[in-house]
Amino acid sequence: MKDEDIDRAAAEATPIPYELDEALRGRLRASIPAPLPPVRPVPATWVLRSALILVCAVVGVAGAARAGFYGIERLGLWGALPILAALGLLAWLASDKLIAELIPGRTHRLGAGALLASVSAVLLAVFGFSFTDYHTERFLSAGLTCLLTGLLHAIPAAVLLCLLLRRGFAANPISAGLVAGALSGLAGVTMLELHCANFEALHVLVWHTAVVPLSALAGAAVGWALRRRSPGPAH
Amino acid sequence: MAAGVALETLMARYQAGDIAAATDLIDCVSPQLHRFFRAQLATRADADDLLQETWLRIHRVRQTYRAGEPVLGWFYAIARHVGLDHYRRIRRTATRERRWAELSAFAEDSHPQHDDGDLDALLQALPTSQREVIEMLKVAGMSLEEVARATSSSVGAVKQKVHRAYRRLREQMNAPDRGKKPSGALS
Repeated sequence: MKDEDIDRAAAEATPIPYELDEALRGRLRASIPAPLPPVRPVPATWVLRSALILVCAVVGVAGAARAGFYGIERLGLWGALPILAALGLLAWLASDKLIAELIPGRTHRLGAGALLASVSAVLLAVFGFSFTDYHTERFLSAGLTCLLTGLLHAIPAAVLLCLLLRRGFAANPISAGLVAGALSGLAGVTMLELHCANFEALHVLVWHTAVVPLSALAGAAVGWALRRRSPGPAH
Repeated sequence: MAAGVALETLMARYQAGDIAAATDLIDCVSPQLHRFFRAQLATRADADDLLQETWLRIHRVRQTYRAGEPVLGWFYAIARHVGLDHYRRIRRTATRERRWAELSAFAEDSHPQHDDGDLDALLQALPTSQREVIEMLKVAGMSLEEVARATSSSVGAVKQKVHRAYRRLREQMNAPDRGKKPSGALS
Protein backbone atom coordinates (compact mmCIF):
# COMPACT_ATOMS: atom_id res chain seq x y z
CA MET A 1 0.00 0.00 0.00
CA LYS A 2 1.47 3.35 -1.12
CA ASP A 3 0.50 6.97 -0.58
CA GLU A 4 -0.82 7.09 -4.16
CA ASP A 5 -3.28 4.31 -3.31
CA ILE A 6 -4.62 6.39 -0.42
CA ASP A 7 -4.89 9.43 -2.72
CA ARG A 8 -6.82 7.30 -5.22
CA ALA A 9 -9.13 6.03 -2.48
CA ALA A 10 -9.76 9.65 -1.44
CA ALA A 11 -10.62 10.67 -4.99
CA GLU A 12 -12.89 7.67 -5.55
CA ALA A 13 -14.62 7.95 -2.18
CA THR A 14 -15.78 11.50 -2.79
CA PRO A 15 -19.13 11.58 -4.53
CA ILE A 16 -18.93 14.58 -6.88
CA PRO A 17 -21.14 16.54 -6.73
CA TYR A 18 -22.11 15.88 -3.11
CA GLU A 19 -25.78 16.81 -3.14
CA LEU A 20 -27.75 18.19 -0.21
CA ASP A 21 -31.43 17.66 0.50
CA GLU A 22 -33.48 20.38 -1.11
CA ALA A 23 -35.30 20.86 2.22
CA LEU A 24 -32.01 21.49 4.03
CA ARG A 25 -30.87 23.85 1.28
CA GLY A 26 -34.16 25.73 1.69
CA ARG A 27 -33.68 25.96 5.46
CA LEU A 28 -30.16 27.32 4.99
CA ARG A 29 -31.34 29.94 2.51
CA ALA A 30 -34.18 30.91 4.84
CA SER A 31 -31.71 31.47 7.68
CA ILE A 32 -30.31 34.54 5.84
CA PRO A 33 -32.54 37.47 6.79
CA ALA A 34 -33.94 39.76 4.11
CA PRO A 35 -33.15 42.59 3.72
CA LEU A 36 -29.53 41.72 4.40
CA PRO A 37 -27.74 44.56 6.21
CA PRO A 38 -24.24 45.30 4.88
CA VAL A 39 -21.30 44.89 7.25
CA ARG A 40 -17.95 46.65 7.35
CA PRO A 41 -15.03 44.18 7.38
CA VAL A 42 -12.74 44.38 10.39
CA PRO A 43 -9.77 46.75 9.88
CA ALA A 44 -6.43 45.62 8.44
CA THR A 45 -4.08 43.68 10.72
CA TRP A 46 -1.56 46.53 11.01
CA VAL A 47 -4.30 48.93 12.18
CA LEU A 48 -5.55 46.48 14.80
CA ARG A 49 -2.02 45.62 15.91
CA SER A 50 -1.07 49.29 16.29
CA ALA A 51 -4.25 49.97 18.27
CA LEU A 52 -3.61 47.01 20.62
CA ILE A 53 0.00 48.03 21.27
CA LEU A 54 -1.09 51.64 21.81
CA VAL A 55 -3.70 50.54 24.38
CA CYS A 56 -1.08 48.60 26.34
CA ALA A 57 1.38 51.51 26.20
CA VAL A 58 -1.25 54.05 27.25
CA VAL A 59 -2.43 51.92 30.20
CA GLY A 60 1.17 51.32 31.35
CA VAL A 61 2.24 54.96 31.03
CA ALA A 62 -0.99 56.33 32.55
CA GLY A 63 -0.61 54.00 35.55
CA ALA A 64 3.00 55.02 36.05
CA ALA A 65 2.12 58.71 35.63
CA ARG A 66 -0.44 58.38 38.42
CA ALA A 67 1.91 56.42 40.73
CA GLY A 68 5.19 58.13 39.75
CA PHE A 69 7.98 57.34 37.24
CA TYR A 70 10.43 56.30 39.99
CA GLY A 71 11.67 53.22 38.19
CA ILE A 72 12.68 54.84 34.93
CA GLU A 73 14.11 57.87 36.74
CA ARG A 74 16.45 55.64 38.74
CA LEU A 75 17.27 53.30 35.86
CA GLY A 76 17.90 56.04 33.29
CA LEU A 77 16.87 56.01 29.65
CA TRP A 78 19.76 53.80 28.47
CA GLY A 79 19.18 51.30 31.25
CA ALA A 80 15.48 51.14 30.50
CA LEU A 81 15.92 50.90 26.73
CA PRO A 82 16.46 47.10 26.46
CA ILE A 83 13.51 46.48 28.80
CA LEU A 84 11.17 48.80 26.91
CA ALA A 85 12.34 47.42 23.56
CA ALA A 86 11.67 43.86 24.75
CA LEU A 87 8.22 44.86 26.05
CA GLY A 88 7.42 46.48 22.69
CA LEU A 89 8.56 43.41 20.76
CA LEU A 90 6.59 41.05 23.00
CA ALA A 91 3.48 43.25 22.73
CA TRP A 92 3.88 43.11 18.92
CA LEU A 93 4.07 39.28 19.03
CA ALA A 94 1.14 38.92 21.44
CA SER A 95 -1.06 41.38 19.53
CA ASP A 96 -0.37 39.52 16.27
CA LYS A 97 -1.40 36.26 17.94
CA LEU A 98 -4.49 37.85 19.49
CA ILE A 99 -5.64 39.10 16.08
CA ALA A 100 -5.09 35.59 14.67
CA GLU A 101 -7.20 34.18 17.51
CA LEU A 102 -10.09 36.57 16.85
CA ILE A 103 -10.21 36.44 13.06
CA PRO A 104 -11.04 32.97 11.70
CA GLY A 105 -8.85 31.55 8.98
CA ARG A 106 -5.66 33.40 9.95
CA THR A 107 -2.29 31.66 10.01
CA HIS A 108 -0.90 30.93 13.47
CA ARG A 109 2.88 31.06 13.66
CA LEU A 110 2.91 30.13 17.35
CA GLY A 111 0.54 28.30 19.70
CA ALA A 112 -0.97 30.24 22.62
CA GLY A 113 0.99 28.18 25.19
CA ALA A 114 4.22 28.63 23.24
CA LEU A 115 3.60 32.38 23.08
CA LEU A 116 3.12 32.56 26.85
CA ALA A 117 6.29 30.51 27.43
CA SER A 118 8.25 32.71 25.00
CA VAL A 119 7.03 35.95 26.58
CA SER A 120 7.91 34.72 30.08
CA ALA A 121 11.32 33.43 28.95
CA VAL A 122 12.23 36.69 27.17
CA LEU A 123 11.16 38.76 30.19
CA LEU A 124 13.25 36.56 32.50
CA ALA A 125 16.25 36.87 30.20
CA VAL A 126 16.00 40.66 29.87
CA PHE A 127 15.42 41.17 33.60
CA GLY A 128 18.25 38.75 34.43
CA PHE A 129 20.54 40.74 32.16
CA SER A 130 19.42 44.18 33.42
CA PHE A 131 19.24 43.58 37.20
CA THR A 132 22.16 41.98 39.02
CA ASP A 133 21.57 42.87 42.68
CA TYR A 134 20.73 39.52 44.29
CA HIS A 135 20.36 40.93 47.78
CA THR A 136 16.71 40.76 48.93
CA GLU A 137 14.67 42.70 51.46
CA ARG A 138 10.94 42.37 52.14
CA PHE A 139 10.79 39.87 49.29
CA LEU A 140 7.22 38.73 49.91
CA SER A 141 5.48 41.93 51.00
CA ALA A 142 7.09 44.19 48.38
CA GLY A 143 6.64 41.49 45.76
CA LEU A 144 2.95 40.96 46.44
CA THR A 145 2.37 44.72 46.24
CA CYS A 146 4.01 44.86 42.80
CA LEU A 147 2.19 41.74 41.61
CA LEU A 148 -1.17 43.16 42.68
CA THR A 149 -0.38 46.55 41.08
CA GLY A 150 0.59 44.87 37.82
CA LEU A 151 -2.53 42.72 37.77
CA LEU A 152 -4.76 45.69 38.59
CA HIS A 153 -3.35 47.51 35.55
CA ALA A 154 -3.88 44.45 33.38
CA ILE A 155 -7.64 44.63 34.02
CA PRO A 156 -8.34 47.99 32.30
CA ALA A 157 -5.99 46.97 29.49
CA ALA A 158 -7.99 43.74 29.02
CA VAL A 159 -11.28 45.65 28.98
CA LEU A 160 -9.97 48.05 26.33
CA LEU A 161 -8.59 45.16 24.24
CA CYS A 162 -11.99 43.46 24.35
CA LEU A 163 -13.66 46.69 23.24
CA LEU A 164 -11.23 47.05 20.35
CA LEU A 165 -11.73 43.49 19.18
CA ARG A 166 -15.45 43.17 19.94
CA ARG A 167 -16.26 42.57 16.26
CA GLY A 168 -13.94 39.56 16.13
CA PHE A 169 -14.87 35.93 16.72
CA ALA A 170 -12.91 33.69 19.06
CA ALA A 171 -12.92 30.21 17.51
CA ASN A 172 -11.11 28.99 20.63
CA PRO A 173 -12.13 31.22 23.59
CA ILE A 174 -9.64 29.63 26.01
CA SER A 175 -6.70 30.26 23.73
CA ALA A 176 -7.95 33.77 22.86
CA GLY A 177 -8.44 34.55 26.56
CA LEU A 178 -4.96 33.31 27.38
CA VAL A 179 -3.35 35.52 24.71
CA ALA A 180 -5.50 38.55 25.65
CA GLY A 181 -4.49 38.00 29.28
CA ALA A 182 -0.81 37.80 28.35
CA LEU A 183 -1.02 41.02 26.33
CA SER A 184 -2.87 42.80 29.16
CA GLY A 185 -0.24 41.47 31.56
CA LEU A 186 2.42 43.15 29.43
CA ALA A 187 0.62 46.48 30.05
CA GLY A 188 0.90 45.74 33.79
CA VAL A 189 4.62 44.90 33.47
CA THR A 190 5.18 48.13 31.51
CA MET A 191 3.61 50.10 34.35
CA LEU A 192 5.80 48.29 36.90
CA GLU A 193 9.01 48.90 34.94
CA LEU A 194 8.25 52.60 34.71
CA HIS A 195 7.15 52.90 38.34
CA CYS A 196 8.92 50.36 40.56
CA ALA A 197 12.29 51.51 41.91
CA ASN A 198 13.05 48.18 43.59
CA PHE A 199 15.93 46.83 41.49
CA GLU A 200 16.55 43.61 43.42
CA ALA A 201 16.98 40.94 40.76
CA LEU A 202 14.82 38.32 42.48
CA HIS A 203 12.03 40.83 43.08
CA VAL A 204 11.87 41.79 39.40
CA LEU A 205 12.45 38.25 38.09
CA VAL A 206 9.75 36.68 40.25
CA TRP A 207 7.08 39.27 40.89
CA HIS A 208 7.20 41.45 37.78
CA THR A 209 7.41 38.48 35.42
CA ALA A 210 4.61 36.66 37.27
CA VAL A 211 2.12 39.33 36.17
CA VAL A 212 2.07 37.93 32.61
CA PRO A 213 1.38 34.22 33.31
CA LEU A 214 -1.14 35.03 36.06
CA SER A 215 -2.97 37.48 33.86
CA ALA A 216 -2.90 34.94 31.00
CA LEU A 217 -4.34 32.24 33.29
CA ALA A 218 -7.11 34.60 34.36
CA GLY A 219 -7.86 35.31 30.68
CA ALA A 220 -7.94 31.59 29.89
CA ALA A 221 -10.34 31.04 32.81
CA VAL A 222 -12.66 33.74 31.45
CA GLY A 223 -12.47 32.11 28.00
CA TRP A 224 -13.26 28.71 29.50
CA ALA A 225 -16.30 30.15 31.31
CA LEU A 226 -17.50 31.83 28.09
CA ARG A 227 -17.12 28.60 26.14
CA ARG A 228 -19.17 26.66 28.66
CA ARG A 229 -21.93 29.26 28.36
CA SER A 230 -21.99 29.22 24.54
CA PRO A 231 -25.25 27.81 23.17
CA GLY A 232 -25.19 24.69 21.00
CA PRO A 233 -27.00 23.91 17.78
CA ALA A 234 -30.78 24.02 18.09
CA HIS A 235 -32.25 20.53 17.78
CA MET B 1 -7.97 28.99 -8.81
CA ALA B 2 -11.07 30.36 -10.59
CA ALA B 3 -13.54 28.85 -8.12
CA GLY B 4 -11.62 30.39 -5.21
CA VAL B 5 -11.71 33.84 -6.80
CA ALA B 6 -15.43 33.48 -7.45
CA LEU B 7 -16.05 32.52 -3.82
CA GLU B 8 -14.08 35.52 -2.60
CA THR B 9 -16.10 37.82 -4.84
CA LEU B 10 -19.34 36.28 -3.59
CA MET B 11 -18.16 36.75 -0.01
CA ALA B 12 -17.40 40.44 -0.61
CA ARG B 13 -20.88 40.89 -2.11
CA TYR B 14 -22.42 39.01 0.83
CA GLN B 15 -20.70 41.46 3.20
CA ALA B 16 -22.07 44.32 1.12
CA GLY B 17 -25.62 43.06 1.70
CA ASP B 18 -26.24 41.16 -1.55
CA ILE B 19 -28.67 38.36 -0.65
CA ALA B 20 -28.24 36.63 -4.03
CA ALA B 21 -24.51 36.29 -3.28
CA ALA B 22 -25.35 34.78 0.12
CA THR B 23 -27.63 32.22 -1.56
CA ASP B 24 -24.94 31.38 -4.13
CA LEU B 25 -22.41 30.91 -1.34
CA ILE B 26 -24.77 28.56 0.48
CA ASP B 27 -25.21 26.52 -2.71
CA CYS B 28 -21.46 26.42 -3.44
CA VAL B 29 -19.99 25.78 -0.01
CA SER B 30 -22.66 23.82 1.88
CA PRO B 31 -22.09 20.44 0.16
CA GLN B 32 -18.37 20.58 1.06
CA LEU B 33 -19.09 21.56 4.64
CA HIS B 34 -21.75 18.86 4.98
CA ARG B 35 -19.29 16.29 3.63
CA PHE B 36 -16.74 17.59 6.14
CA PHE B 37 -19.13 17.06 9.06
CA ARG B 38 -20.05 13.59 7.79
CA ALA B 39 -16.36 12.71 7.65
CA GLN B 40 -16.06 13.80 11.29
CA LEU B 41 -18.32 10.84 12.08
CA ALA B 42 -21.50 12.88 12.46
CA THR B 43 -24.81 11.23 11.63
CA ARG B 44 -26.73 12.72 8.70
CA ALA B 45 -29.13 14.50 11.11
CA ASP B 46 -26.21 15.86 13.15
CA ALA B 47 -24.44 17.03 10.00
CA ASP B 48 -27.63 18.85 8.92
CA ASP B 49 -27.84 20.59 12.31
CA LEU B 50 -24.13 21.42 12.34
CA LEU B 51 -24.35 22.87 8.83
CA GLN B 52 -27.27 25.06 9.83
CA GLU B 53 -25.43 26.19 12.96
CA THR B 54 -22.35 26.92 10.85
CA TRP B 55 -24.31 29.20 8.52
CA LEU B 56 -25.85 31.03 11.46
CA ARG B 57 -22.34 31.53 12.86
CA ILE B 58 -20.98 32.58 9.46
CA HIS B 59 -23.76 35.12 9.15
CA ARG B 60 -23.08 36.51 12.62
CA VAL B 61 -19.32 36.91 12.09
CA ARG B 62 -19.20 37.67 8.36
CA GLN B 63 -17.44 40.97 9.09
CA THR B 64 -14.32 39.01 10.13
CA TYR B 65 -13.61 37.96 6.54
CA ARG B 66 -11.22 40.32 4.79
CA ALA B 67 -11.00 40.62 1.04
CA GLY B 68 -7.96 38.97 -0.47
CA GLU B 69 -7.64 36.22 2.13
CA PRO B 70 -8.44 32.56 1.30
CA VAL B 71 -12.17 32.25 1.84
CA LEU B 72 -12.26 28.44 2.16
CA GLY B 73 -9.89 28.57 5.12
CA TRP B 74 -12.24 31.08 6.76
CA PHE B 75 -15.34 28.91 6.16
CA TYR B 76 -13.66 25.76 7.41
CA ALA B 77 -12.24 27.50 10.49
CA ILE B 78 -15.80 28.39 11.54
CA ALA B 79 -17.21 24.98 10.59
CA ARG B 80 -14.44 23.25 12.50
CA HIS B 81 -15.20 25.35 15.56
CA VAL B 82 -18.91 24.46 15.36
CA GLY B 83 -18.00 20.77 15.01
CA LEU B 84 -15.59 20.87 17.96
CA ASP B 85 -18.24 22.54 20.13
CA HIS B 86 -20.69 19.82 19.17
CA TYR B 87 -18.35 16.93 20.04
CA ARG B 88 -17.28 18.62 23.25
CA ARG B 89 -20.92 18.89 24.26
CA ILE B 90 -21.57 15.24 23.39
CA ARG B 91 -18.59 14.16 25.45
CA ARG B 92 -19.60 16.34 28.39
CA THR B 93 -23.14 14.98 28.34
CA ALA B 94 -21.87 11.44 28.00
CA THR B 95 -19.50 11.89 30.92
CA ARG B 96 -22.25 13.21 33.10
CA GLU B 97 -24.95 10.77 32.24
CA ARG B 98 -23.33 7.47 31.40
CA ARG B 99 -21.07 5.07 33.13
CA TRP B 100 -17.92 3.84 31.39
CA ALA B 101 -19.50 0.67 30.16
CA GLU B 102 -22.42 2.55 28.69
CA LEU B 103 -20.11 5.17 27.20
CA SER B 104 -18.33 2.70 24.95
CA ALA B 105 -21.66 1.44 23.66
CA PHE B 106 -22.71 5.05 23.01
CA ALA B 107 -19.51 5.72 21.08
CA GLU B 108 -20.24 2.72 18.85
CA ASP B 109 -23.76 3.95 18.19
CA SER B 110 -22.74 7.51 17.40
CA HIS B 111 -20.15 6.45 14.81
CA PRO B 112 -22.19 5.23 11.92
CA GLN B 113 -20.57 3.40 9.03
CA HIS B 114 -20.85 5.62 5.96
CA ASP B 115 -21.85 4.45 2.58
CA ASP B 116 -19.74 7.10 0.86
CA GLY B 117 -16.88 4.70 0.15
CA ASP B 118 -14.00 2.79 1.60
CA LEU B 119 -12.06 5.89 2.63
CA ASP B 120 -14.64 6.94 5.21
CA ALA B 121 -14.37 3.55 6.89
CA LEU B 122 -10.60 3.93 6.92
CA LEU B 123 -10.71 7.51 8.19
CA GLN B 124 -12.64 6.35 11.23
CA ALA B 125 -9.42 4.87 12.56
CA LEU B 126 -7.75 8.29 12.62
CA PRO B 127 -7.85 10.78 15.49
CA THR B 128 -10.12 13.77 14.81
CA SER B 129 -7.24 16.19 14.18
CA GLN B 130 -5.73 13.94 11.48
CA ARG B 131 -9.08 13.01 9.98
CA GLU B 132 -10.12 16.64 9.45
CA VAL B 133 -6.79 17.49 7.82
CA ILE B 134 -7.06 14.58 5.37
CA GLU B 135 -10.68 15.50 4.66
CA MET B 136 -9.80 19.12 3.86
CA LEU B 137 -6.68 18.32 1.89
CA LYS B 138 -7.66 15.25 -0.09
CA VAL B 139 -11.43 15.46 -0.33
CA ALA B 140 -12.19 19.21 -0.27
CA GLY B 141 -9.06 19.89 -2.35
CA MET B 142 -7.73 22.68 -0.16
CA SER B 143 -4.07 23.74 -0.17
CA LEU B 144 -1.74 23.22 2.80
CA GLU B 145 -1.91 26.97 3.49
CA GLU B 146 -5.73 26.92 3.52
CA VAL B 147 -5.79 23.88 5.82
CA ALA B 148 -3.33 25.59 8.16
CA ARG B 149 -5.60 28.64 8.29
CA ALA B 150 -8.70 26.52 8.86
CA THR B 151 -7.12 24.53 11.69
CA SER B 152 -5.39 27.50 13.35
CA SER B 153 -2.00 25.89 12.95
CA SER B 154 1.13 26.23 10.82
CA VAL B 155 1.81 24.60 7.46
CA GLY B 156 4.52 22.50 9.13
CA ALA B 157 2.06 21.17 11.70
CA VAL B 158 -0.40 20.26 8.92
CA LYS B 159 2.34 18.40 7.01
CA GLN B 160 3.19 16.48 10.15
CA LYS B 161 -0.44 15.49 10.71
CA VAL B 162 -0.77 14.33 7.10
CA HIS B 163 2.40 12.30 7.42
CA ARG B 164 1.14 10.61 10.60
CA ALA B 165 -2.31 10.06 9.11
CA TYR B 166 -0.84 8.41 6.00
CA ARG B 167 1.34 6.16 8.11
CA ARG B 168 -1.68 5.10 10.11
CA LEU B 169 -3.80 4.62 7.00
CA ARG B 170 -1.09 2.49 5.40
CA GLU B 171 -0.95 0.31 8.52
CA GLN B 172 -4.72 0.09 8.53
CA MET B 173 -4.98 -0.82 4.85
CA ASN B 174 -2.20 -3.40 5.12
CA ALA B 175 -3.64 -4.95 8.28
CA PRO B 176 -4.82 -8.56 7.74
CA ASP B 177 -8.01 -7.95 9.78
CA ARG B 178 -8.94 -4.88 7.70
CA GLY B 179 -12.59 -4.04 7.91
CA LYS B 180 -12.83 -4.48 11.65
CA LYS B 181 -14.57 -1.58 13.32
CA PRO B 182 -12.13 0.74 15.11
CA SER B 183 -12.79 1.66 18.71
CA GLY B 184 -12.20 4.82 20.74
CA ALA B 185 -12.34 7.18 17.78
CA LEU B 186 -13.70 9.96 19.98
CA SER B 187 -10.44 10.27 21.87
